[in-house]
Amino acid sequence: MLEVRDLHVTRGATEVLKGISLEVLEGETAALIGANGAGKSTTLLTLSGLLRAKSGTVRFEGASGSIDLTKLAAERIVGEGLVQCPEGRQIFHSLSVEENLSMGGYLRRDRASLGSSIEEVHALFPILKERAKAAGGTLSGGEQMMLAIGRALLARPRLLLLDEPSLGLAPQMIERIFDVIETLKKRGTTILLVEQNAAMALDIADRAYVLENGRITLSGSGRELADNDRVRQAYLGIAS
Amino acid sequence: MSQYVFQQLINGLSLGSLYALVAIGFSMIYGIVRLINFAHGDLVMIGAFSTLGFVAMGVPWPLILVFVLMIGALAGMTIEATIFRPMRGAQQVTGFIATLAVSIVIQNVGLMTLSGQPRNFSFPAFMRQRVQLGSVSASVTDLSIIGLTLLLIALLLVVVYRTRLGTAMRATADNLMAARLMGIAVNRTILFAFAIGSGLAAVAGLMWGGKFGQIDPLLGFAPGLKAFIACVIGGVGSIGGAMLGGYLLGLAEVLFVGLLPPAFSGYRDVFVFTMLIIILLLKPSGLFVRHVEERA
Ligand SMILES: Nc1ncnc2c1ncn2[C@@H]1O[C@H](COP(=O)(O)OP(=O)(O)OP(=O)(O)O)[C@@H](O)[C@H]1O
Ligand SMILES: [Mg+2]
Repeated sequence: MLEVRDLHVTRGATEVLKGISLEVLEGETAALIGANGAGKSTTLLTLSGLLRAKSGTVRFEGASGSIDLTKLAAERIVGEGLVQCPEGRQIFHSLSVEENLSMGGYLRRDRASLGSSIEEVHALFPILKERAKAAGGTLSGGEQMMLAIGRALLARPRLLLLDEPSLGLAPQMIERIFDVIETLKKRGTTILLVEQNAAMALDIADRAYVLENGRITLSGSGRELADNDRVRQAYLGIAS
Repeated sequence: MSQYVFQQLINGLSLGSLYALVAIGFSMIYGIVRLINFAHGDLVMIGAFSTLGFVAMGVPWPLILVFVLMIGALAGMTIEATIFRPMRGAQQVTGFIATLAVSIVIQNVGLMTLSGQPRNFSFPAFMRQRVQLGSVSASVTDLSIIGLTLLLIALLLVVVYRTRLGTAMRATADNLMAARLMGIAVNRTILFAFAIGSGLAAVAGLMWGGKFGQIDPLLGFAPGLKAFIACVIGGVGSIGGAMLGGYLLGLAEVLFVGLLPPAFSGYRDVFVFTMLIIILLLKPSGLFVRHVEERA
């Protein structure tokens, strides 16, 4: 579904990604873990076309077949089915919950089935229905996270990128969000999950990568990485 | 109410309408690209001179109105696409200076091609009549300015709050990055904001000419500055705030001059700026904005 080859990205004067390669197969949940500043968000923003790669390729099985995303405009990338739920939620504070969701479906031409998609999101997050008319900025952090995920789902992702969905949430809410990710996974959505909460991410992931200083230093199944001594020490806080 | 007070009120409302129309566009443009656009007032001048041109060509007035709106929109979109867009991402001060430069260029091209001589500008004869409303009367021009402005604002609110493109424009102004991640072609929504804002400013130019009877290539300065002040009073970046700020400013100016002894009339701008300073001291984010969230 997604195949990244030797991706180099510079921001300002620094080379943030120094040639990373990774892949996500259809139906899989892949996790990308790493410390602060490792380049996780940079990776996702490059996939979405908000940052430009200096070199490397990004193959994606999109709506119009297999394409290279590195030259594509951000709105085309969404149209192809690669949709990101960004770090820090980034919902539209001044727009109502309803309008936030409608912006998720901005590119969709199928007005009729959009209504039933909104109902599906409401079923997943009933609070979004209750608060449909409220301004996005008045929601709590957890509710905003649900809104951000719901909004991304309305774009009908073939591949959903999630950038630190647990960030800043209470433990209970984190459980809730991971339950939803589990549900999406069971429904067959392909997911690339970026997390600092490595334990939960590795638990849910079929495939995982460790990003350190702009390089992929380890990869394997979620299980394998969770059992790896270095990962246990550095990311799971378990002394070996 | 005495005729005198009523006349001042109508006068203030019609001046406030013009300020509001210009301020709304100013505010929309600031809201979406965070640019204090000092060339915005010059769209008023472009609208006024376009009107004169169409009148000379014998175009009927209702069509002139539509054409002027379109010319303003086209001019605004051209400036955005050719000058402001390539500078996006540069420091804010760069954009600010660019808008000053555009303003100076427009004014000087105007001076060279149209000459600095003020020209007479007049609405058709029936617009210059007065209508009797009970014991008081008002000029058709002022009443038309007030009515047309309300109509345009109503249309604007429908477009901005009830259409898909309008919602996308608000989304872009709210969070540009998130808008891009939702597949919104933000250069298009930004262009749309410039088109609407500049179109309204040009129509304000048409009305400005009719209200004051004379136009010259530098006339954009006053409405540009007043729109900026109206936005600051109302709360920068909010359409409703800009609108109310415009009306408040127009009314305050006229009532100040009209209701105080004539000796004070020269202090009109002193009064306006004092009012601005006091409002900013009391409510730094503007009168009509509940809270301002600075975008990182
Ligand atoms: N706008 C920017 N300009 C220049 N450098 C940047 C910019 N944003 C981030 N960086 C740098 O890029 C590197 C990677 O940042 P990135 O946001 O991708 O990290 P991350 O892995 O997502 O970290 P976090 O877990 O904190 O979200 C960091 O060293 C950071 O300082
Ligand atoms: Mg990050």
